[in-house]
Amino acid sequence: MEHSAPHNKQMSASWDGGTPPNTVYLGEGTVVNGQQAFKRIVSELPDALVIGKQCTLDGVQFSIGAGAKIRIGDCCCVTGAILMAEMSIVIGCFVLIGWNTAIADSDFHPIAPAERIADAMACSPAGKHMVRPAVARAAVVIEDDVWIGPNCTILKGVRIGRGAWIGPGSVVTRDVAAESQVWGNPAREVERI
Amino acid sequence: MTSRSIPGDWHCGAIPENVDIMPGAHVETSYSFLLFRSRRANGLRLGTNASAYGRCMFDMGPEACFSTGDYTLLNGIWLICDNRVSIGDYCLLSWNVVIMDSYRASKDCRNRRAMLRRFADTRNPDAFSGHAASPVTIGNNVWIGFDCCVLPGTTIGDGAIIGARSVVSGQVPANSLFAGNPARFIRWIIPNEIKQENSCGE
Repeated sequence: MEHSAPHNKQMSASWDGGTPPNTVYLGEGTVVNGQQAFKRIVSELPDALVIGKQCTLDGVQFSIGAGAKIRIGDCCCVTGAILMAEMSIVIGCFVLIGWNTAIADSDFHPIAPAERIADAMACSPAGKHMVRPAVARAAVVIEDDVWIGPNCTILKGVRIGRGAWIGPGSVVTRDVAAESQVWGNPAREVERI
Repeated sequence: MTSRSIPGDWHCGAIPENVDIMPGAHVETSYSFLLFRSRRANGLRLGTNASAYGRCMFDMGPEACFSTGDYTLLNGIWLICDNRVSIGDYCLLSWNVVIMDSYRASKDCRNRRAMLRRFADTRNPDAFSGHAASPVTIGNNVWIGFDCCVLPGTTIGDGAIIGARSVVSGQVPANSLFAGNPARFIRWIIPNEIKQENSCGE
């Protein structure tokens, strides 16, 4: 998976919300629609979000936490999805992601009950100076030519192999082999394409 | 054009000419027709007192036909239709329900790559058309919970209920409750059971 170099910033790329934030790089010919697209980018990395050439992103929302990044290759089509990175989400080229799909590289909150109380307090209006407990995170990788249907959920640490098919509504919790087809909750392999 | 506009619409658009809105039926916004490309004479029909609330999206190809019966309520559904989707009377479809009669993609990733390259070059949604489509038929008085997916070729019988977040395919018999992903039979819905439960307490 090769990603466009960040220096071709906004060359004939467009976003209907105006000029994207400085931490966002859009490749040549890429079109982003939706005012909410970059509202939730907190990452201070100079290349928090890098999108390749000729992508079409309609109604997509990026939520990128501190120190996290998202990479998308060329010629991808994403509609109405939400991508939530606390670490790293890397998407290859020619990837199609259906409407209302969610991709996350973290569970956002700790699993242990006592830690979750600490997290709830830190997240509350009274928690401004509290430190949130550490949260498990694991990078998500979606390789080239993957098709992801609408209403899917892709969870942390998952690698989806090249050319795989993720059926509509699937909840993907484990790696998906290249060119395989998975369906269901949890997603299971149905047949090789 | 102005006669096809919707009073108080937040989106700047109009209802296409080949859309029939029966008396008493309501469409909240013309945004729902952003991806409507049907060229059929009766591309879309909403029955008497039917409604399309919220961000319903009628993503329909050139040959697509979609119809609902009377009193059917669509609350922010996403329709992907290239052939035919029909819904009966008195149905309730909840938010983020996806109904598709076509996957609009080949299972062969080489074909998908060619398709995405064509779309990237032209930005014409016709690049996604031409795939197999099998009609979806939903009977009368069907209730579909939020976030469900109804897959190509599905038939849902009268009075059935589909639990939230289910993924439905194949045949769902009348008066049955289906749920899960993949959706499976849970139980029969006994007619008038709610009425009976209420009367027990009195």
